[in-house]
Amino acid sequence: MKFPLHLRLPGLLLTFIVTFTSVRAADLPALFQERVKSVVAVEFFTETELDRRPTVTSAFVADANGTLVLAPGAIDGRVQPSQLKDFRVYLPGKSASEFFHAVYLGQDPLSGWHFVRVEEKLRSQLTPVTAFAATSPLAEPALADDYWGIGLRRKDEDFLPYFLSGKISNVQSLPERTAIALAEVAAPGLPVFTRDGALAGIALGGFGSTYLQFSRNERGTPLMLMNVEESRVFQLVGEVLPWMSRVPASVNGRPIAWLGAYGLQPMDPDVAAFLKLGNQSGCVVSEVLEDSPAQAAGMRDRDIIVAVDGRPVPRFTPDQVAVSYLDREILKRKPGDKFPLTVLRGSDRVELVATLVDQPKLQREGERKYFEKLGVTVREFVYGDGVLRRIKPAEQRGVIANFVKNNSPVGTAGLRPDDWILEVDGAEIKTYAEAVAKLAAIEADATRTDFVLLTSRNNATAVLRVKLK
Amino acid sequence: MTRKTLCLTVLVLGLWATSTSAHAAMSRGFNHLLDAVVRIDVREETFDSGAIRFTGSIGSGVILSDDGLILTNAHVASPRAVELSVTLASLERVNATLVGWDHWTDLALLRLDLTEVKRRGLKFTHADFADSDKLYPGQTAYAVGTPFGLTRTVTRGVISNVRRYFADNRGVEGYETGLFNTWLQTDAAINPGNSGGPLVDEDGRLMGINSRGYLGAENLGFAIPANIAQRIVAGLAKDGRITRSYIGLVPGSLLDLESFYALKQNTGLLVNSVDPGSPAAVAGLRGGDIVLSINGAPVDGRFPEQLPPIQNLVASLPVGSTIKLVVKRGEQTLNYAVVTEELKSRQGEEWAFEKWGLTVRKVSRAYARENQLTDDTGLLVIGVQPGFPAAVAGLNRGDVVTKINQQPITSLDTAKKAYATFTEKPAPTLVEAQSDRQVSLYIFKP
Repeated sequence: MKFPLHLRLPGLLLTFIVTFTSVRAADLPALFQERVKSVVAVEFFTETELDRRPTVTSAFVADANGTLVLAPGAIDGRVQPSQLKDFRVYLPGKSASEFFHAVYLGQDPLSGWHFVRVEEKLRSQLTPVTAFAATSPLAEPALADDYWGIGLRRKDEDFLPYFLSGKISNVQSLPERTAIALAEVAAPGLPVFTRDGALAGIALGGFGSTYLQFSRNERGTPLMLMNVEESRVFQLVGEVLPWMSRVPASVNGRPIAWLGAYGLQPMDPDVAAFLKLGNQSGCVVSEVLEDSPAQAAGMRDRDIIVAVDGRPVPRFTPDQVAVSYLDREILKRKPGDKFPLTVLRGSDRVELVATLVDQPKLQREGERKYFEKLGVTVREFVYGDGVLRRIKPAEQRGVIANFVKNNSPVGTAGLRPDDWILEVDGAEIKTYAEAVAKLAAIEADATRTDFVLLTSRNNATAVLRVKLK
Repeated sequence: MTRKTLCLTVLVLGLWATSTSAHAAMSRGFNHLLDAVVRIDVREETFDSGAIRFTGSIGSGVILSDDGLILTNAHVASPRAVELSVTLASLERVNATLVGWDHWTDLALLRLDLTEVKRRGLKFTHADFADSDKLYPGQTAYAVGTPFGLTRTVTRGVISNVRRYFADNRGVEGYETGLFNTWLQTDAAINPGNSGGPLVDEDGRLMGINSRGYLGAENLGFAIPANIAQRIVAGLAKDGRITRSYIGLVPGSLLDLESFYALKQNTGLLVNSVDPGSPAAVAGLRGGDIVLSINGAPVDGRFPEQLPPIQNLVASLPVGSTIKLVVKRGEQTLNYAVVTEELKSRQGEEWAFEKWGLTVRKVSRAYARENQLTDDTGLLVIGVQPGFPAAVAGLNRGDVVTKINQQPITSLDTAKKAYATFTEKPAPTLVEAQSDRQVSLYIFKP
């Protein structure tokens, strides 16, 4: 449309361009003000045995129900949801003494996003990012196009929003289509927009750049620096838009589809060529876990997964992305879904069909109890503990020392976090409840001078005498 | 006034007489000993950089016999040594060869090149052993050796402790040490280079072999007691190695746990752990058991110092012996018969595949156990050389090579065969390796 115009009316074109760019430049502050309503700052506290640690992060507004999304890295994956307390939501640029309460909804296993819901009274002041999504699918960012987003200053600066922008340098599959800009475009987890203000994607944290550090004593030590407040990388809107509605049904993020193929490892093109895989890739299954869908389907240790549902595993760069690809293929599905796989076993191709199940209880879901006087938190022995220690499900017993307080009675006796407690006072611990009852009795008994634990660490047991007096 | 002077003279003379007698004793036995102490220059292979490299070090030693047997530390002269050059008291140098070593006690035995000694008409003496069981704390002790290359240095101190316990799983060039013996502790200054030199009494008799000191501490030195050294020397001279029995019990000291286990004072050996798959594990022993007797003899493992002799009791039995253990578990008293296996180090044999730029160490049972590997298949990568096939393929130090061209690597020989095939007819080779239980594939390209 514009091209013929240029041909016919060169004089007019000049005016047109001037008007257009000036309008755009004037537009940006307005677009910015409007889109700031789709971002907030979130503060929460992680309660541990000894303290309460605050975390401040940013979040975007996913829908009109006050659903907020925090980046995957905003919360430590080992933390139990019940340890997360007192979510507070702050409006960018408004006084940080005013905040709104929110509740944690859980982490979506596929996107890794953490979902939070803010109280009703704030919702009218927020605009979901989806409101800025283009009506028809956006084209992939072209090289050198400008994209922009929002950063938030720190709490003592009232989370003041500021403008960030960068030109597109590269777009690649990781395995989601992901754009990398020449400069920081948004705070991690916050939306990125086109010049016109259309939602282009969500910024992704965790990317660093390598620098050399020179000092008086050292010359040129490589150093990876990561900007944790701003990111140059964003996942494209086409990938992330469907994730906006993946609010977990439970705070534990359940259900989580699970195959039970442990230690997937990618291969480089040389290996793929040696195995005559052509231009595709594959992943080695390090171990097939006990009682897993993979085992039931007949998968074996060292099988190489080369196709899912008949579709070959594509080649990605870096190679490691192939593992994320397979993980996503599993997590996209639901427990009960069929998962047809082609594996390479020696020189044979074998077709398998696994039926995915809900993943066994995770460590962060394991029940736990803190014995303050003894100085230990014991946690239920869950499936993953058996995997780490190579203990068959039938032989699993005891509890795990999830936390050991320094200089406490058990700490002094030599217990360390992640030690496996097998016996208390010479009696085998079969269940978590048994361990809790025993330790509670010991803690309550004021006449006790000591007790004895049989523990295991790195496949070696040790008898620890815990002195209480 | 005269008397006073006389008195004084007698006193002074008396003092002088005492000091001459001590001096005379030193000159006989001690000077004899000095002529038996040697400096040892070692050139040895190392395998930790993806290729065979050579390093040099200096230690000390003491000649034990007229036929040129020299006792030193295992961490001075190991099977990695390719050249052992001995400097005699006369400062003349003669080559020596390794007769055998025993890292468990940190001792090695060398033999001088006697033809060379005869041809050049060189002279040396040999040292005699003291009875180290009769040593006492506070007794004067002299260390003789080559600290920091300063040949023939004598330092003096006392025996600080006659029964020091310390065990180190990687203490002798990565090999275990100290499980079967206690150590003499001395404050005679021991520095790097003293290793392997003698700790002697005033008569120049061998109390022990100086082995190590605490880094950063002042004069906390340790020596292998003479009586243990004598046994090891006999074994090494006869067979070139010490064979020990193993059942897989890892003891812990009972300390004051006796009341908990309802034991009589000074009774029992606490089993801290049982190595999975070991004879004791197969027999059914478990962590937390208390061994009351071994082959009918009651054991007392209350203190850490008491553990090495008990360990040695088991280790000294011939491999394949049946050991009768009486074990207390809770209220029960159980009887076990355990057949011993040969004791192996956690450190496997090392090798260099030079064209791959890869150096490896055979995975041992102990290594496999500690690192949650299913068995002792595989070679631990201890070095890769940049730019060579292994490094280019992406293999890293710490990976365990489990298969080469689909062949499980159960022994070093299997890998050597695969390497020979590669060198004869270079072709892309598929290598399977695991790191922390993650299995990956690599291609070694010619």
